[in-house]
Amino acid sequence: MKFQVVYCNHQTAELAVREKLAFSSPEQLGQAYETLREEFPHAEHVVISTCNRIELYSAQENSKPIPSQNEIASFLAHFHRVPRDSFADNLLEHSGPDAVKHLFRVASSLDSMVLGEPQIVRQVKEAYDFAGQSDACGPLTNALFQGALRVSSRVRTETKLVEGRVSIASVAVGDFGKSIFNRFDDKTVVVIGAGEMAGETLRYLKKEGAKTIIVVNRNKESGEELAGEFCGVYHPFSELDHWLSEADIVVSTTGSLQPIIDVERFAAARLAHKKKPVFILDLGAPRDFESAVGNLDENVFLYDIDDLKTICERNRKTRKGEIEKAERIVEEETLQFMHGIYHRATGPVIKRLREEWHSIRQREVDDLFSKLPHLESKDREHIERTVERIVNKLLHPPLEALRDESESGTPHLLLNALKKLFRLNEPND
Amino acid sequence: MPRELLLGERLLLDRIEVICFLASYAIAFIAEWVRLRHPRNVFRTFVLFTGTAGFIAQTIYLLNRSRQTDLPPLLSSTHDWMLVLAWIAMLFYLSLTLIDGEIALGIFFLPLVILLVAAASFVSNETNSILATGDASRNWTMLHAAFLVIGIAGVVVGLILSLMYLAQHRLLKNKRAFFGQLKLPSLENLARLNWWCVVLSIPFLSMGMLAGFMLGFIGEPSKSFTLNDPVIIGSMAIWCVMIVFFFWRLRAKSYEGKQVALRTVWAFGFLLVILIGLQMMTRNSSSGIESWHTDRIAPSSMQIASIQGYNRKS
Repeated sequence: MKFQVVYCNHQTAELAVREKLAFSSPEQLGQAYETLREEFPHAEHVVISTCNRIELYSAQENSKPIPSQNEIASFLAHFHRVPRDSFADNLLEHSGPDAVKHLFRVASSLDSMVLGEPQIVRQVKEAYDFAGQSDACGPLTNALFQGALRVSSRVRTETKLVEGRVSIASVAVGDFGKSIFNRFDDKTVVVIGAGEMAGETLRYLKKEGAKTIIVVNRNKESGEELAGEFCGVYHPFSELDHWLSEADIVVSTTGSLQPIIDVERFAAARLAHKKKPVFILDLGAPRDFESAVGNLDENVFLYDIDDLKTICERNRKTRKGEIEKAERIVEEETLQFMHGIYHRATGPVIKRLREEWHSIRQREVDDLFSKLPHLESKDREHIERTVERIVNKLLHPPLEALRDESESGTPHLLLNALKKLFRLNEPND
Repeated sequence: MPRELLLGERLLLDRIEVICFLASYAIAFIAEWVRLRHPRNVFRTFVLFTGTAGFIAQTIYLLNRSRQTDLPPLLSSTHDWMLVLAWIAMLFYLSLTLIDGEIALGIFFLPLVILLVAAASFVSNETNSILATGDASRNWTMLHAAFLVIGIAGVVVGLILSLMYLAQHRLLKNKRAFFGQLKLPSLENLARLNWWCVVLSIPFLSMGMLAGFMLGFIGEPSKSFTLNDPVIIGSMAIWCVMIVFFFWRLRAKSYEGKQVALRTVWAFGFLLVILIGLQMMTRNSSSGIESWHTDRIAPSSMQIASIQGYNRKS
C-alpha cells in the first residue's frame, strides 16, 4: 500500500506559479480526474487546489509503481499547457508516512499561511468529496482523508491554535484594513465574486461595522445570495467600473483565469475620486488585479495572498507552544494511521494462516478422538487444549516477524513468502 | 510636621535636576526600541515606569522652579517654558500609551521630548523681568505664553502625527502592517488627529502673537518694542506661512494623503525650528541678537529684587 503527494504551496512557490497550476473550476478539476484515471488507472487520486496550494495525493493498494513526481509534473504541464521547467523546481514530493503526515498537517492548518484557519478543513473535505464524486477515490484515500479530518478536529479541540486572528480574511481586515481605516461603517465595500472567501471577508468587515456592501458578480443567483446574507445589494458585473469608483474597500475573489482589472481600467474608474484611499484585497488565485494597480497612486493599497505572508509568520511565532502541541498530535496520529494501514495489509494473511492451521489442528484432533473412543471427556479436553497451544506457539514466530516488519511499511516480501510457504491463496483465487 | 523634615523634603526637591528626567526619558526611549523587536509586557511596563518616573521628576522640578521664582513655570523663563512644552508632549504620550499599549508611540514622541528637555538646558533659566511692571503686563504675558505654548504643543503633536502618518503609509505601501513588532494608528485616525492639530494650534499661535503685540503696545511703552524687532519679524513671517497652510488645510477636501502629511511636516518643522530658534537666540544674552524679548531677560539685580518684592506683596 503506497501513499504519495506531489505539491507546491505558498512556501515553495510564488503566487504567479501557483496560479498557473491551480484548478479554478469544478469542470477543470473533473477533466483533471478523467485524465489522471486514463494515465494512471491503478491509482487513487485526490487533488486539493486552493489559493495557497495545489496538491495531488495518490495511493495504490497493489505493488505496482505509483505515479512518480516526474509523471505528475508532466501531467500538470500538459493539462495546464505550461512549460514544465517553469514550475518543476517548485514541486515537492512526500511518500509513505511523510505523505500522510503532510496531509494531516495541511488539514490541521499547520501548513497554512494563517495558522489555525478554519477554511482549510472545509477545502480538504470538499476536495475529498469531489474526488469521490469523480470516482477518483478508493479505500486508501478514503481512509487517509477521513483520518485527516479526524486529526484536524482533534487539533482544534485539544489546542488553542484557532484562537485569535485565524483566517486570511481576518488578518487582512484586522491588520491591513484597520491600519488604513479607523472605522468601516462609513465605507463602501465592493465585493467582486461570491465565493467562500468573499463571504468570510464580509463576515469580518461586518463585524468591524461595515454597512454599505455591494456584491458584483457574474452569477446573479449566488451574488444575490451573498448580498442577502450580509444585508448588501447585488449589482451585475457590467456595473463593476462604476462601483470601483465608489469603493473604499474592494474584496476580489473571482475564479477568473486572467486578471479582470488592469491599470488602465482601474485608473479610469478612479478618475472621479482620485485622492480617496482605497483598500484592495485580492484574494483570487489567479489574481484578479494586475499587481501594477497598487502603484497607480499613493492612496491605492493593494494586497494579494502572498502579501499576507509576513503577518502570518508573525502570528505563527506567537503560537509556538500550541504548534508544538499540534505537531505532537499529528505525529501520534500518523503513526497510528500507518499501523492501521499496515495491519490492513497483513490482516487478511494472518487471518487465513490462523484459519488454515486451526482447521488442520481440528481435523487431526477429530481423527485422533475417533481412533481413541475410550477417552474420557476430561482427557479429550486436555488433549484438545494442548494441541491448540502447540499450534499457537508455532504460529507465534512468523506472526511476530510479520508485525515487526509492518512497523516500517507494508512487508510485501514477507507476505509473499508466507503465502507461498503455506499456500495461502487469495480468497478469489 | 517638624521643621527639620520639611527642610529635608525641600532639600530633596531641590536636588532634582534636568538630568534626572532627561536620563529617565532616554532610558524609556532605549526600552521602546527594544520593545519594537520584543513586544513583551515587561518592556511595556518598563517603558511606562521610566517614562512616568521622568514625568513625575519633571513635574516636581517645574513646581519647584515655580516655588523658587514665585511665578507660574510658563512665565518664569525660556528654560521653564520649554520644559512645560516637553511636559505637555509627555503627558499626551503617556495618556495614549495607557489607552493602547500596542501602539509604537514612544519612538516618535520620546526623541522630541528629549530634544526639548536637552534644548531647555542650553537656554537661560533667569527669571523674566516682564512681570515687574504691574497687573496688565502680567495678564498679557500670561495670555501670550499660554496661547503660544498650547499652539506650539499642537504643532509638536501635529508634526509627530504627520511623521507617524508617513511611516505608516510607507509600511502599508511595502505590504507591511507592523512597525517592528508593534502597530501604528490607522492612516485615517492619524490624518484626522493631524487635521485637528492644525485647526486648533494655528488659531492659538495667532492669539499668542496677538497677545504678544498687546503686551508690547500696552504693557510697557517705555521699552524698546518696535516692529523691526527680529523676533517680531520672524514670528510674523512664520505666522503668514501658517495662515496660508491653515486655509489650504481647511479647504482640502480629504483629511488624508501623503502630500498633506508631508506639507504638515515641512510647515510645522519650519515653524518649530524658527520659533524655538528665535527664542533660544534672543533669550541667550551671548547670541548678540538684540530684541525686545532680550530686554525682558537678564534683568539687573535691582529688577530681580523688585520682581520678588512685587510677587511677595501680591
